[in-house]
Amino acid sequence: MSAITASHLSKDYGDVRAVDDLSFTVESGTITAFLGPNGAGKTTTLRMILGLVTPTEGAAAIDGRAYTELEKPITKVGAVLEATAFHPALTARTHLRVLATAAGLGHARVGHVLDLVDLADAADRKVGHYSLGMRQRLALATALLGDPGVLILDEPANGLDPAGIHWLRGFLRAYAHEGGAVLVSTHVLTEIQQIADQVVIIARGALVRQATLTSGTNLEDLYLEATR
Amino acid sequence: MNGLIRAELLKARAGRTTWVLAAIAPLTCALWAVLPVFLLDLESAMPMEHRVENVYNMAQQAYVFTLVLGVLAMTGEYRHQTITWAFLVTPSRSRVVAAKLVASGLVGLAIAVVSALATLAAGAALLALRGHPMMTPQVPLVLLGAVASTTLYGLFGVALGALIRKQVVALVVALLWFMYGDYFLSSLLPDVGRWLPTGAARAVGGMHLESGALLPAWGGGLLFAAYVTTLVLAARLFTLRRDIT
Ligand SMILES: Nc1ncnc2c1ncn2[C@@H]1O[C@H](COP(=O)(O)OP(=O)(O)OP(=O)(O)O)[C@@H](O)[C@H]1O
Ligand SMILES: [Mg+2]
Repeated sequence: MSAITASHLSKDYGDVRAVDDLSFTVESGTITAFLGPNGAGKTTTLRMILGLVTPTEGAAAIDGRAYTELEKPITKVGAVLEATAFHPALTARTHLRVLATAAGLGHARVGHVLDLVDLADAADRKVGHYSLGMRQRLALATALLGDPGVLILDEPANGLDPAGIHWLRGFLRAYAHEGGAVLVSTHVLTEIQQIADQVVIIARGALVRQATLTSGTNLEDLYLEATR
Repeated sequence: MNGLIRAELLKARAGRTTWVLAAIAPLTCALWAVLPVFLLDLESAMPMEHRVENVYNMAQQAYVFTLVLGVLAMTGEYRHQTITWAFLVTPSRSRVVAAKLVASGLVGLAIAVVSALATLAAGAALLALRGHPMMTPQVPLVLLGAVASTTLYGLFGVALGALIRKQVVALVVALLWFMYGDYFLSSLLPDVGRWLPTGAARAVGGMHLESGALLPAWGGGLLFAAYVTTLVLAARLFTLRRDIT
């Protein structure tokens, strides 16, 4: 069974067909780059997989079950979504504690994930005063809170400094090496090329290319050719 | 479910708004108690006992604070987009709202109790100062009723916020309705008013009116709970299932 399955996903927003009959799978132990032009439907697809957006047609599954039917979902799937937001008056630590409490997780994980994303020193400051990159680090920490085996990341490197990007690349590589499944949408091809095993490219909501990446592939050429 | 409720309480405690409103509520109630004490010097057809009880009934004025807190608790999730995290952790959206209802009920109860105590202190002191009777046998019930109705308003706020996700709109609707719409309707048409949310809440608090009788306290409580339930069901039907984008 695949870690992530999207089968015939479609989504209409009024007259706009944001996602159009999209199917793909992501296996455990691999990283899948999810690419496509602005407005191609990447964020919409990821939100459908996470049960936040209801598909017009089709379905998605994590380990064979719909996200909404998972027990303690954040212990199975970690998600970073575009424009992630936090309550500005809460500190990072409180934000994580709230979610850990809601999920029935121990607070020990809170300190752990804060260390992991190098946010421990700022953990007791209000998130409202955070920089873009700090917010992104907190989003990553939140995704890792439940120690999940699947990661769904929407432009996770957004705003990260070079050291942060370097860390994220190493982290994802190790994560997949240990059997985790990663689905990551991004526009930074040079970055993702270094770690992705598979690429799924969509345009105007529909699949235009699905390929396994080998060391010889030039991802940029592949992308530009597929989305032309 | 326990974890969810504790998480909600954690959020409520962490925000400054909760503490500010919780501090103003008892002060407001104490101030409201001044007016009916001075009105006692005027002639009235209402029995003295009822008029004294209405002094303590001012504990109900804390309603606006629990109502606003309830609306803020629910709509704040949409406003700050933290609803995404909430639904990722708990995909059952009804459970998220249920936890909010319980947590807001507990926060509201705390504010209601403090406000009732403040009203009791201020009312009793003022009545004694002006040489009026300080107590009637009904006063404890009046205060209990005020606590109940103030708490219920918090649930009403959550339910309204679940239905109207836009914070400003929900707040304006709630305040316009309770401070003006429902208030004037109840004053002008008491026969209609007793079936409206304000009338139901006043009945819970055992308020004595010059004109038109309210429902019995238990009836008012049931009616108010029915309004809350209706709002929650409407939210489930119309807004809760919407896409989170
Ligand atoms: N809530 C919404 N209401 C209406 N249309 C929407 C909504 N969300 C997305 N869309 C539309 O759906 C399409 C896909 O948007 P989506 O955000 O999924 O693209 P994307 O691939 O993530 O783009 P980007 O690379 O810019 O992040 C776009 O045409 C967008 O305008
Ligand atoms: Mg996007």
